[in-house]
Amino acid sequence: MKRYETKLINYILKISNISREDGEDILQEVFVKAYQNLNDFDLNFKFSNWIYSIAHNTTISAFRKKKVRPQTVSWEDKDLNNILKSTLDLEDASLQKLTYKHILKIINQLPLKYKDVLILKFVEGKDYREISDILRKPMGTIATLINRAKKSLKQGLEKEDIKL
Amino acid sequence: MKNISNEVLKKIKDNNIKPKPRWYFITKNYFIWSIFVISIILGSFAFSMVLFIIKQLDWDIYHYIGDSFLKTVFISLPYLWLIFLILFTGVAYYNFIHTKRGYRFKFISILLISLIISIILGTGLYFNGFSERLENVFSGKIPYYNRLVYSCEKQWMQPKRGLLAGTIIETELPENNFILMDLDNNRWKIKASKAIWKGKIAPATGLKIKLIGKLIENNNFKAMEIRPWKQGQGRFMMGGNR
Repeated sequence: MKRYETKLINYILKISNISREDGEDILQEVFVKAYQNLNDFDLNFKFSNWIYSIAHNTTISAFRKKKVRPQTVSWEDKDLNNILKSTLDLEDASLQKLTYKHILKIINQLPLKYKDVLILKFVEGKDYREISDILRKPMGTIATLINRAKKSLKQGLEKEDIKL
Repeated sequence: MKNISNEVLKKIKDNNIKPKPRWYFITKNYFIWSIFVISIILGSFAFSMVLFIIKQLDWDIYHYIGDSFLKTVFISLPYLWLIFLILFTGVAYYNFIHTKRGYRFKFISILLISLIISIILGTGLYFNGFSERLENVFSGKIPYYNRLVYSCEKQWMQPKRGLLAGTIIETELPENNFILMDLDNNRWKIKASKAIWKGKIAPATGLKIKLIGKLIENNNFKAMEIRPWKQGQGRFMMGGNR
């Protein structure tokens, strides 16, 4: 549990934009579900993908049941940098503190399916196969979602006239 | 931050939570695969019925009644069975993506593979005579089935549009005229002096025929072309009218 605690709480908070308290409740549920479904784990899959998949489903489910309330969650600069670098093809995206809130707002306004793939790819560093196993979607769909998410983010940044 | 690990362990202990047994997941997996296979088989039944109904209809008569070929196709398609085929293919798809690795395949690939398997199996069933037996069961035992399916009987029982079918019950009339009992047990006087008899048949009592011509007045029909009712075509050949 200790090994995945920090990684999963960060993932949950980023995709859902909820308070830390709600996030920790979800994380507890994730670990309980993982324990209950331990016999369903297939050794041909990576354990981290399996538990990320449970975290993803539990967060979405909590969202649907409206058990959690959205808030503004702060991100680390390096995470934002990673997303922006890949979206805008920059060598080094140096974030200006002035635009930080705006950028975060735009990312949080993206549909969940876009935000999710961006986070898994550029923050969690997962490859296409891993994202496919976490979100239970074909790799082709993942590639399409990532492209659309990048496009959508780029448009959002241009609309807000944010220059880096 | 709370000590999540401790809280989770406490929750597991307090609520006596246990991992679900392995057999539960194995059964669940087998169940999903079974529903997938059953859906494919039911889809093949539906396709064999589509094939059976299409093969039963006469597709060359549209120009006699002044319809376009497209309109004839639109009227004649076996929608009920096509809906079942789509439905079962959908159920097969839904179950396949819920298997362990099903999500890795593209929507279109799963759909096409399910459909192709149903089509291959359905064609086999059709040539095996299964669809004919299934049609008999449905026609005989399912209420309103005959209303829902556009059969060859329906196709030929449109006297106002110049199509009629039935059994010859009297031939001793002048000018090759005869009396016909149609599929709804109505008597018709058929004027056949200028009719072309196709399929090497001659007027005879008990002969089951299809007529293309014109409705003259109540129960009087002028035949232009007369065809034999094909062996095995529809319910009509299997005993009595309709």
